[in-house]
Amino acid sequence: MSALKKPNLISVTSINTDGSRYFIHPADVKGWFTFARRVFGVILMAIYVLLPWIPVGGHPAVFFDLLGRRFHFFGLMFLSEDLWIGFFLLTGLGFSLFYITSLFGRIWCGWACPYTVFLEHLYRRIERFLDGDAAQRRRLADSKPTTAKTIRAVIKHSLYLLVSVIIAHVFIAYFISIPRLYEYLQGNPSSHSKAFGVMLFLTGALYFSFSWFREQFCLILCPYGRIQSALTDEDTIIIGYDAGRGEPRGKVNDSSAGDCINCLRCVQVCPTGIDIRNGLQMECIGCAGCIDACNEIMEKTNRPRGLVRYDSLRGLAGLNTRFVRPRTILYSGMLCLGAAVMLLFLSGLRPAKLELIRMPGSPYYVDKTGVRNQFRLQLLTKKSEDTTFFVRALELPEGAVVSGLEEPLLLKPGEEANRTLIITVPVANYTREFKFAIQATVEPGGFVISDRAEFLGPSAYTLSPIKDSSTP
Amino acid sequence: MNRSEDRNEDVILREHEFDGIREYDQKLPNWWLFTFYIAIVLFVIGWVTYYQLPLRIKTDHEYLTAKLDVISKKKEAELESILSSLTDDSLREMSRDATHAAVGKSIFETKCSPCHGIDLSAQLNGMALPGVPLNDAEWKYGGRPLEIMSLITNGSPDPTKGMIAWKDQLGPSEIAQVVSYILSKQPQ
Repeated sequence: MSALKKPNLISVTSINTDGSRYFIHPADVKGWFTFARRVFGVILMAIYVLLPWIPVGGHPAVFFDLLGRRFHFFGLMFLSEDLWIGFFLLTGLGFSLFYITSLFGRIWCGWACPYTVFLEHLYRRIERFLDGDAAQRRRLADSKPTTAKTIRAVIKHSLYLLVSVIIAHVFIAYFISIPRLYEYLQGNPSSHSKAFGVMLFLTGALYFSFSWFREQFCLILCPYGRIQSALTDEDTIIIGYDAGRGEPRGKVNDSSAGDCINCLRCVQVCPTGIDIRNGLQMECIGCAGCIDACNEIMEKTNRPRGLVRYDSLRGLAGLNTRFVRPRTILYSGMLCLGAAVMLLFLSGLRPAKLELIRMPGSPYYVDKTGVRNQFRLQLLTKKSEDTTFFVRALELPEGAVVSGLEEPLLLKPGEEANRTLIITVPVANYTREFKFAIQATVEPGGFVISDRAEFLGPSAYTLSPIKDSSTP
Repeated sequence: MNRSEDRNEDVILREHEFDGIREYDQKLPNWWLFTFYIAIVLFVIGWVTYYQLPLRIKTDHEYLTAKLDVISKKKEAELESILSSLTDDSLREMSRDATHAAVGKSIFETKCSPCHGIDLSAQLNGMALPGVPLNDAEWKYGGRPLEIMSLITNGSPDPTKGMIAWKDQLGPSEIAQVVSYILSKQPQ
């Protein structure tokens, strides 16, 4: 397998006709997009690694506290009962992806997907450093097994494993926090076998994905890649080849030929093994490697850059790209709607909660003191300091007696507490069932939280005998 | 774009042809087929271990039920041991212990005082509260410490009165502490 395999539109280059794997060795490429992508990738990796270390409000910036069933996100704290907000988060992310994809194609895949980021800017860099450029790597792969080759392979795969172990630990730190991770690292694996097992599994999965599986994931397994292919249209900015300018392909000095000199640089650098000149293909992850490769050649041959470029199908055909079109209007509308709803709920999110629940037993009681409803007041504080609730009942009829709220309620940090709350309406004042509000001012913070409940009772006329007997 | 030179000579076409339409015969990636084969192997392993060997592997449901059984048995045993250790005398003894009475007081003030009054008088600012006074040594359903304990645990025998069974919200030792607090407040 010395000659480079010729890509086609009918089969996946990285799979041979017998179903075996054709390992792609993308050539080095230099250029503006490659540089920008590398910088962006390194920044992203730094963010992934640093987020669990940055404290915001006494907790890591992003911390899915599995043991405490809490989720800390840049100072906000969510409990498991706030999980419904996740619906808006997920739909928001979904519509953001829709929106971005309808405008710029699979820009997520090439620039920001963690899979691509780790593969391109970490694992492939290790391989390039140890095994040399594409030609050297291909020669090495095709050479007969020797001791030197085995040693090189062992070193390379050990490095892959080491990097995978580190990434797995960073990932786990998002769920158990850095201090606990450090504690686990010093302890015996059997005392935290679940975390250890997850770490081993992740290490294995990362190692397998980035050392061998590579582009197969993006081409065949990744559902986002599949969805994104369905979201592009002729106005979406993709990476494309200007066939009108490039064809027919010919030699550099052939004045009758187009600008493409058929040097195959774009094919050599492609990490998924396609020929971009065949048009938009489902394998393209939008990495822009072929743009840089082609621009380099165009400059060397004194032709204008951009034979392969970011452009829409309409743009490549010489028409104008329409950025404002029904699809983008719809997606941006949905995105704004979802973001607005999420912001609304987030702004209403308070670090304390109050809920009024009817006590088990009869829904109401009637005796000489009046009609009585018994409630359980459930209080919860997410604060990391002592919290005082000044609770009051509102919208009650005249003469109603509230018992159980005489003293402010004091909760310890993170505590959940139950109080008994009895509301009695004297028979003389009782006319019908009614709704009322329960409200608490929470200190420190000074914010107000509330809940509504219904006061239940009999029809007022059934009480008239009691009314009569109670008035001598 | 679909020039013939872009077609791979290696691509196999199947024999049949209908109205000029022909079908590719491309193989799935081997790794993909491998996931299918491994699923078959896992099925055989699962089928043999679950249904053919007398290993008695529990289903998730059975596992959880067994675990819950252990927990509820443990709770019952705990309750049993607390109850068997409690007598009228030991509860009276507890009521003389300041720490028990103090814990009982704090529970009383969050759960019981809305009906029975913060000072056990069943009064709030001179108005009658729904509960019965607990500071007058008068008992509707028996004043022995174990009788009080049972009343709190299971609620009033008269369901129209509103005294609910507290066993779902309070454990036996907590109820015992409430009893000892009430006893400590009785006129000597």
